[in-house]
Amino acid sequence: MRLFFRLFICFNLRHAVRHRWRVLIVVAGIALGAAVFTSVRLAIHASVQSFASSMNRIAGAADAVLTKPGGLVPETLMAPILRHPALSSAAPVSTAYVTSRFRPDEPFLLVGVDPVMETAFRPWGVEAPSSSRGLWLQLMAEPRAMIAADKLADLLGAGTGEDVELIHLNRHAPFRIAGIMKGGGTSLIDGGRVAVTDISSFQEFTGRLGGIDRIDLRLRSGSDPTALAAILPPGVQIDKPTAARDSGLQMLQAYRLNLSILSFVSLFVGMFLVYSLVALHGASRRRELAILRSLGGSKRLLFFLFLAEGAFFGLAGWLAAFPVGTMMVQYLLEGINETISTLFVRVHVDRLALDPWEIVLSFAVTMAVSLLGALLPAREAMKVAPKEVLSVETPLRQRKKTAHLAFGGVAAVFFALFIARISGSVPGYAAAFLLFAGLSLLSPWILDRMGAALPSGLSRIGGEPARLAARYLRDSGIRAAVSVAALTTAVALFCALAVMVHSFRHTVEAWVHQSVSGDLFLRPKMAEFNRYRDPIPPKTLKTLQKLNAPVDFLPYHRIFLDYGGVPYQFDTIDFQAFSKYGSFLWVAGDPASVYPALERGEGVLVSEVFANRTGLGPGDRYRAQIRARVLDRPILGVVRDYRTRGGVVFYSFAHFAKQFDATAVNGMRIFFQDRGPELEPAVEELRGRILKISEGALEVTAGRQLRWIILEIFDQTFAVTFVLLVISLIVAGLGIASTLAVLVLERRRQFNTILAVGASPGQVRSVIFWEGLLMTLAGEATGILGGFLLSYLLIFVINRQSFGWTFLYRVDWTSLAVSLPLILAAALLTSLPAVRLVLSEPPAMLLRER
Amino acid sequence: MKMKDNPRITSVSAGLIAALAFLLVCTAVGGAEEAGFQKVTGPCALAFPEDHGAHRGFRTEWWYYTGNVHSDAGEPFGFQLTFFRTALRPGTAEEGDALRSAWKSSQLFIAHAAVTDVNRKIHLSAETAAREALELAGVRAGNETVTVYTRAWKACIGPQDHRLAVESERFSLNLSLTPQKPPVLHGNGGYSRKGSSPERASCYYSFSRLAAGGKIRVGDRTWNVAGTAWMDHEFSTAPLEPGLAGWDWFSLQLSDRTELMVFFLRKADGEIHAASAGTFVDPSGETIGLTRRQLAVEVLDRWKSPDSNAVYPVRWRLSTSGPDLALRIRARIDNQEMDTRQTTGVVYWEGSVTAEGTASGRPVSGTGYVEMTGYGQPFDAPM
Repeated sequence: MRLFFRLFICFNLRHAVRHRWRVLIVVAGIALGAAVFTSVRLAIHASVQSFASSMNRIAGAADAVLTKPGGLVPETLMAPILRHPALSSAAPVSTAYVTSRFRPDEPFLLVGVDPVMETAFRPWGVEAPSSSRGLWLQLMAEPRAMIAADKLADLLGAGTGEDVELIHLNRHAPFRIAGIMKGGGTSLIDGGRVAVTDISSFQEFTGRLGGIDRIDLRLRSGSDPTALAAILPPGVQIDKPTAARDSGLQMLQAYRLNLSILSFVSLFVGMFLVYSLVALHGASRRRELAILRSLGGSKRLLFFLFLAEGAFFGLAGWLAAFPVGTMMVQYLLEGINETISTLFVRVHVDRLALDPWEIVLSFAVTMAVSLLGALLPAREAMKVAPKEVLSVETPLRQRKKTAHLAFGGVAAVFFALFIARISGSVPGYAAAFLLFAGLSLLSPWILDRMGAALPSGLSRIGGEPARLAARYLRDSGIRAAVSVAALTTAVALFCALAVMVHSFRHTVEAWVHQSVSGDLFLRPKMAEFNRYRDPIPPKTLKTLQKLNAPVDFLPYHRIFLDYGGVPYQFDTIDFQAFSKYGSFLWVAGDPASVYPALERGEGVLVSEVFANRTGLGPGDRYRAQIRARVLDRPILGVVRDYRTRGGVVFYSFAHFAKQFDATAVNGMRIFFQDRGPELEPAVEELRGRILKISEGALEVTAGRQLRWIILEIFDQTFAVTFVLLVISLIVAGLGIASTLAVLVLERRRQFNTILAVGASPGQVRSVIFWEGLLMTLAGEATGILGGFLLSYLLIFVINRQSFGWTFLYRVDWTSLAVSLPLILAAALLTSLPAVRLVLSEPPAMLLRER
Repeated sequence: MKMKDNPRITSVSAGLIAALAFLLVCTAVGGAEEAGFQKVTGPCALAFPEDHGAHRGFRTEWWYYTGNVHSDAGEPFGFQLTFFRTALRPGTAEEGDALRSAWKSSQLFIAHAAVTDVNRKIHLSAETAAREALELAGVRAGNETVTVYTRAWKACIGPQDHRLAVESERFSLNLSLTPQKPPVLHGNGGYSRKGSSPERASCYYSFSRLAAGGKIRVGDRTWNVAGTAWMDHEFSTAPLEPGLAGWDWFSLQLSDRTELMVFFLRKADGEIHAASAGTFVDPSGETIGLTRRQLAVEVLDRWKSPDSNAVYPVRWRLSTSGPDLALRIRARIDNQEMDTRQTTGVVYWEGSVTAEGTASGRPVSGTGYVEMTGYGQPFDAPM
């Protein structure tokens, strides 16, 4: 082993130091890839962990929970529950996001509990002076007393004993801070934006009387929670305590996987860099390898020396990734946090915890990628025979292999298209990687064909240098093909994402303008955070209905439900009023026949996401327990919907109100009858009036503004994606630069011979330029082809599997027409160092070497 | 004597009961606000069955049962069940508006139960607590029966008998207790002084002899049991007098069908406070009040708790004059300590005892319960 390390230092490392610039390029590429991969994983892991631990802290030590989908659990259930022999304890919990007068921009979670029952479930970590030991009883003894997390107290600028005016809808009430929660644990719920109060104070403040969000249960050992079923009223169900967390995590899972895969692309592209350099070292040192072999070095020794070289690049890149990643992670954390909060679940990450598992994973993946990159060149090195020590020339490259590789590539592409049909989120990504692998395997064959077919044609355009360049590329074998494959990967990804994002945006835009129609949107303050549990206050609603304005109202009622583990929103709307001003984007169903049936309450409409996630479609029946009753209706159609918090089921507002005795309205759209040029000022005027009437209870957004916000959020969401994409393009560019440099270095004697026999330096530079151009063109052409295939996979397979939606396929030709030449130009720029390199030493010196 | 600040009253949930204990300590040392509560300053004019119910105008109240029973095979058991009510703020009428939560309550109930399996030297305890709201806990009266309950535990005080029901993971009690004598009013017609001033007092009565029968479960085994039991009901608002370290309380049922209740208020310097007192109940139910001067107690043996390091008396010589009693009392098992430091931080001893000796020269024996507080670390209850 010692001999191996000594040999590695003398043979590989010394050589690497001699050629440090090319090594640095490869290490930089790996470092960039590893930094992106690790930072994205760490950032998203931090967000997901923050959400999960918040939910776990709220769930506490419960073994099961009682909930009532779409409603409140009747509080009268507490007494029989507490007396049930299967239970050792039970505790009520209600939560609401509220704000304070001092910081209306900082919503925080107010948790209503019964302090008597509570400590069996959640260790609310209060660090209180000895004089405050009765703190928890104070919550019960004193109306509107609360214990705030230290972070919240800081945000509110209030301490123990001070009053804070809390706001929920149009209710304002002073709450006294009776104590401060510290020391981690529950005080970190929602990033420390949490306060706890007695359930009675909570109910009186929020107006949620008569019920609680849930009852947490602790079972006696060996007891079965289903034993409770007999005493549960209709609509109340027994859930796992982690149900809410799991539902949130399910929404995040696809986003998490998506970003992880994207971040891996840079590292994947880096693999080509390692291959390229190790292969160069192997090829340029065949004679030395032959000497080693003739001195007794085994094939295995050579194999492991080159594998170790790859590992060395991986290790160096991984270590160099730390400083890069440290800077990157902060940026990504902010972006990812914001995206998750906006689209999925509310998260607050204040500190980034360095998860050892993520570090180990990043190390393992980086090393695996580097070792994989070095594997083929290492195998190639094994094949060096001792007799080559007497050979002056490098043996001819094995051109015949390209056909085999091409066959493998085509097979991989077909296999990719086959496995894309398998359900589940992993096959989609696996298909994408197979596609990349297939295209990479095709690269040598493409270069070979270019070399064979183009020279005569090229010589007419670019003269002898172009012809020579094509020939050289054909003969350069795998090495040039690897760089082309790297560029192919990056271009394919770029192209595919450009098509996908454009299609997505185009479809979302159509959805926003047709389905998210309305001039004004009204909903209770923080309705989204509070999952639409609070209705528009009846007083406000009455005043609204008396508004003397030429408008139509479209009230709706939204309930957050769960269908076999699939979270979705149940929306009741007035289909007739809706169809007057807007329309759905239909995926299945005939609007002409479906609308009348929907208006009669004879069926439901489901979103594409709901249909894909549950497997239900037109002809199936939708059956759901909503509050105390069951709704059982056929599914009449499927429509597009791009809400990120699950699928949607639409049902008639009037029929739901009648059947479920649910007259509450928790949202409303307002349409102006007169659509003339005075519409915008009229909307603004009405908005102002409603805001005044609602006394702060409502969020009132102009439709135009809302639609702009949705598209803005959409664009922000893809900001991270494009950053990752640009990085993979940079890594691919490094690959081209490195390969060209390698090709030049390898053939310096050849070039100088050409110079010596009369070629001008300009002609030699031209050869290099043409090589760069041809490589880039080959990479781009294959990349574009792969990009379109990948875009199909992304839109119709991966998005469907991961998020449940698809889009109308649209190619953004303008963007591609602008960006692809730019990529070409950028890639050509990377050939400049190689052009400079070729003439850096006098020909005589180089010729004398041999 | 089970004063309102009795540390025996611990609870289920750590933070809460610690907090409660703290409130009680505050009460005990005279630091708590009494304003707004009714005070016991004179005759209690107790009438039954009404006064078996709750007296919510007073700050604290408890219903307390202890007993010594044996199985069909003669295996001895001790049991204890206490319901404790505390008003967290004065006044029962809540600030009324349309938005009144059904959870709103100023009354907190805590219940504590224990079983001593003498032969197996096992002492098990359990606690539970709830606010008086939504029928989670409280006191109900109807059909001449008063029911005191906290979650699933209850004591139904009916015209014929008292029924106790306790269900916990480790043990359960289902007992019927039939009064053998009318209620005993301690002190002056139930007005029981607990300190130097008239308002340091409680209204206090007992059922000193109840015939007990029913079932006791310990772990997976259930026994039919029979024996005798004792019931106390007491309410007050006044805090305990400053300077007291704790108290020793004895309730004994003797073989000559007499009963004795005595309490010694221990000062910090070891002296017994002059307000210490007792009640002797003769076989017909007639009572004799005993003052400090008529009572003498001597500790014969002590036991050190391996858990808390507190040293408790476990054998005593207790004597009274007029009636002349000379009794040797011993704990049936030493370890009947209630150690709730992990939850409430409160440590005390409450257990089944036997007594032997003479009454006016005639040999007597008996069983009973003793409660001792203030022997461990200072009565403190961290959150």
